Parts: sequence; structure tokens; C-alpha cells
Amino acid sequence: MTRPYIPWLLLAVALALAAVYLFPLYWMYVTSVKSGSEIFANPPTFWPREIDLSIYPNVWTRRTMHVFLWNSTLIAAGVTAITVIFGTGCAYVLARYRNVWVDIGLFSVLMLQVLPASVMVTPLFVAFNQFGLLNYPRTAVVLAAAAKAMPFFVVLVRATFMTVPRELEEAALVDGNSRVGAFFSIVLPLARNGILVCAILTFMSSFGEYIYSKSIIQAPALQPASVGLSGFLGPNSTDWNSIMAYSAIYVTPILAVFVLLQRRIVSGLTSGALK
Amino acid sequence: MRRFLASLRDGVGFDILLVGAAMVFLLAMAGLPLIYNVLMSFQQVDMFTLGSLIRPWAGFQNYIDVVRAPEFWMVTRNTIIFVFFSMAGQFVIGFALALFFAQNFPGASTIRGLFLVSWVMPGLVVGAIWSWILAGDFGVLNTILKSLGIIQSNVFWKSDPSFSIWAVVIANIWLGLAFNMLLLSVGLAAIPRDLYEAAELDGANAFQRFLTITLPMMRSTIGAVLSLGLIGTLQQFDLFPAITEGGPANTSTVAQYWSWQMSFQLYDFAKGATISVMMLVLVLIASIIYVRSTRHEVRG
Repeated sequence: MTRPYIPWLLLAVALALAAVYLFPLYWMYVTSVKSGSEIFANPPTFWPREIDLSIYPNVWTRRTMHVFLWNSTLIAAGVTAITVIFGTGCAYVLARYRNVWVDIGLFSVLMLQVLPASVMVTPLFVAFNQFGLLNYPRTAVVLAAAAKAMPFFVVLVRATFMTVPRELEEAALVDGNSRVGAFFSIVLPLARNGILVCAILTFMSSFGEYIYSKSIIQAPALQPASVGLSGFLGPNSTDWNSIMAYSAIYVTPILAVFVLLQRRIVSGLTSGALK
Repeated sequence: MRRFLASLRDGVGFDILLVGAAMVFLLAMAGLPLIYNVLMSFQQVDMFTLGSLIRPWAGFQNYIDVVRAPEFWMVTRNTIIFVFFSMAGQFVIGFALALFFAQNFPGASTIRGLFLVSWVMPGLVVGAIWSWILAGDFGVLNTILKSLGIIQSNVFWKSDPSFSIWAVVIANIWLGLAFNMLLLSVGLAAIPRDLYEAAELDGANAFQRFLTITLPMMRSTIGAVLSLGLIGTLQQFDLFPAITEGGPANTSTVAQYWSWQMSFQLYDFAKGATISVMMLVLVLIASIIYVRSTRHEVRG
């Protein structure tokens, strides 16, 4: 570049684009701290006249958010556990070999990745009903959501295993290690970071899971935060500062984790999803 | 028996165990339900037969009923609008942003990474925020558009039948464009720099370089991104209950939401299954394109 100011100009444009793109998030936080009357000011105020945080404890108790968030955490933890336990081994084998069976396995995993949850929810609900699983609704949701999350996890983690040199594992085998030993003491530690990032991604996406929970869990005491939010959200809602405060409480932990791990998440995604 | 255990610990058995566990789980939770779904679409399912596997055979009656339903063409039209314009918006804006962030300036990758927050947020929260932004009387989008002089009076995005589907399209473009941008950025980064330098020496301008180098080199990436966009749009569900609930009068109902409404609001599971089987055909076409275009990369 002959003109040294151009990178800084581009940086300014980039920041402006990011500001426009992230405006909805800003609007969520700003709305949540506005007073009830200021929300309906015309034209709306882009900076709150006075900051009123009392809505947060109010929404927290009135909407029994601790119950909802606890259920979301349980469901997300269950989904992540199943996905990591089953998915890691599967990804390892699919990364280690190259033959027609691996091709078939990969093909079916990719096909399963594309099944919409809205397609799967009807047969799953009817089948769970027949097996009596609907009496354990959170377990049922965990099983259904884990099957939805696993293919993506396998594709991403497989890319991580591809970066582990085969020679290291072979050296361990030559030194008298068994396959199991080599897997747990050589391959897994080397792929640990990639698996961890994918596990966090799985956790975050199942923390927001909605359609299975909405369809399967009837008892409010067992519902996750997404269903709790839908309880007072609709085309005719007016209680906007409560809704935005609820949303803010719900997404702030996710956003914090994302910002902290942004670099790793982005590189994990780009190496696996597509090259 | 001992040989079997030894193979599990130190041979092919270990691999088969690892893959097998995952495959059995996926088969039980995704493969069988899929077949069951197709089976149900040919059966009469009501409250009395819900608990049994063998139900009265319905033949193609469910399919005929779905196609004859008064809202069928409305839903088809909405699905086409939703899929086409969501994909187009996500792809065009995503590509433009990817090209912009491919420039060399400080903080480019960090700022680009920030865009991905839309992708990690729960869909229902995204829907809630957009539902408020798009609100008719006090929504901020109307204020912004009016101050820019684009519209004269408030647009009732969610309750005007001619705008309701567009309300969801706007939210979905916002939700999906970051992922498109990220994947396209990866494709852009893989194009060798010297190609551009050679073209520049030959006197090609920026637009010509884009047409003759960027687009052809990105062909497989673009194929994958477009098919992933189609799949992602057909998977999008959370925005509908959050923004319009399919209303007013089904003007924003799309196939996946219609299928869910049939099953879980009208308890007509056979029709819900039928609609989802019809949708599945679309998804399968998209996924074959996707698998074909990522095959080489995935095999690595």
C-alpha cells in the first residue's frame, strides 16, 4: 500500500459495519434498562434517559428464571455429555481410516446433519409416547437433541483428529501400547483443545434448544429457558422491557463465553465445517 | 471370547466399538424415526391409535388432504419466499462482508469474529429482539426507515399480511449471514495471492479479477455455502413462534412451522408427518449437492 491511511480507513468502516450488525444486541440491553414509559416514547431514545436496573431482579423472580435456567443447563449438559462420549470415538475412527466404509459412515453422518428438527419432532414424539419416555421429558429431550447435535460435532472433531500425526500413535503402538492405551494417552490429549471447543459449541447451541423442549415437555417446572421465554412472547406482546431483560439474562453468559473463546471457536469452525 | 476382548482392546474391534456406539445411537434416534415418519404419513393416526404401531392404512389420503388444504398454496408460496430471499440475502451480504474483511487492515479477523455472535445466540432470543425491533407502533426499525425517508408511515411488519413473511426473512438474514460470511472468508483465504498479482500485472481491474479469479476459484465453496444455506433455512423454526406465530391468517406460515402446528397444536400427527416427508425431499436434494461439494475437503 502506498497510502498508509487506507488500513485505518478500512478499520473505521469495519467498526461501523460491526456496530450496525450488533445493533440488535445493543437494543436488547438498552430496552431492558429503560423505564416502562420510555420504551413507548416516540421517537425512541437511542440512549436511555435514566437507567433502571430494577427490572432484572423483578423478571428473575416473577418468571421463576432460576428454574428455567437450571433446566436449560441440565439439558445442555446432558446433550453435551452424550455427544462428546459417542461423537469423539466416532470422529476418531472416521479420521483414522480411508476406505469405502468410512465414506459410507461420513455420508450418513452428513445426511443426518441436515435433518430439520421440525421434521424429526413428530415421529420422535409419537415413538417416545409409545415407549413411555414422555414420562421423563427432560431425558427424552436430551436424547433427541443429542442426535441432532452429534453429526455436526463429529464433522468438526474429525477435522481436529486429522491434524494429529499418525506417526505419534504408531510410535506408541511400536513401544508396546495397546490401541486403547494409545488412544487415551496420545491421541486424546493432542486433540483435547479442539474437542473442548466443539463441546462448548454443542453446549451453547443446546442451551438455546427450543423445538423439542416445547413439544415434549409439558410441565412448567421442567421446561428450559427458551420455552419460558416463549410463554410471554408473541405477535401481540407489549411487555418489552421484561422480555428484553429476560433475554439479556439468558444470553449474557453465552455471549461472555463466546467473546472469551472467540478465536478458538472461529478457528475450530473454519477448520472443520469447510476448507 | 478372549480373542474378542483382545480385539476390543487392541485391534479392529476397538474401531468398530467406537463407531458402532455412535451409529447405533444415531440410528435409534434419527434413522428409525425417519422411517417411522414415512410410515405414519401413510397411516390414519388419531388419539385412539396414537399408542399403537399398526394403524389403519390410509394410502395417499394424507397427501391428498394436505395438498387440498386451503392454506397449502399459501404455505408453499411463503416457503419459497422465505427460502429464496433468506438465502439470497445471507449469501449476497455475507459475500460482500467476506470480501471486505479479506482486505488487509488491523483487527480484521477479530471484528469479523464478532459477527458470529448471532450464530451462537438462542434462536428464540434472536426472534424476541427482532420482534421488538420490527414492532409496528414503537419499533425502532420504522423510526430509522422514516428518518432516512424510505417510508412515510409506520409499516406493521408483524400484523400486515403483505409484510409478515418479510419480517421473518429479515430476522433470518441477520441470523444466518455471519455463518455464510465466515465460510466464504475461508474460501477467499485459500485463493493464492499470486494469481491476483499476475492478473493485476496483465491490467485486469478489480471487477475483472473478481469475475475471472475469485468466482471460479470459489465454485465449490459457493456450492457448499448455498446448500448449507438452503438446509439452514429449512431448519429455521425458532423465529416463527417468536415473531409472527405464522400469522396473521397463515401469511407467514412455512412448511416446517405448518408441520409442527399440525402435530402439536391440532394433534393431527399423520398430516404433520406428511408435510415433513414432503419437506424432507427438498432437504435431501440440498444435502446431496452439499455432500458432493464438500466431499473432497471432508475426506481431506
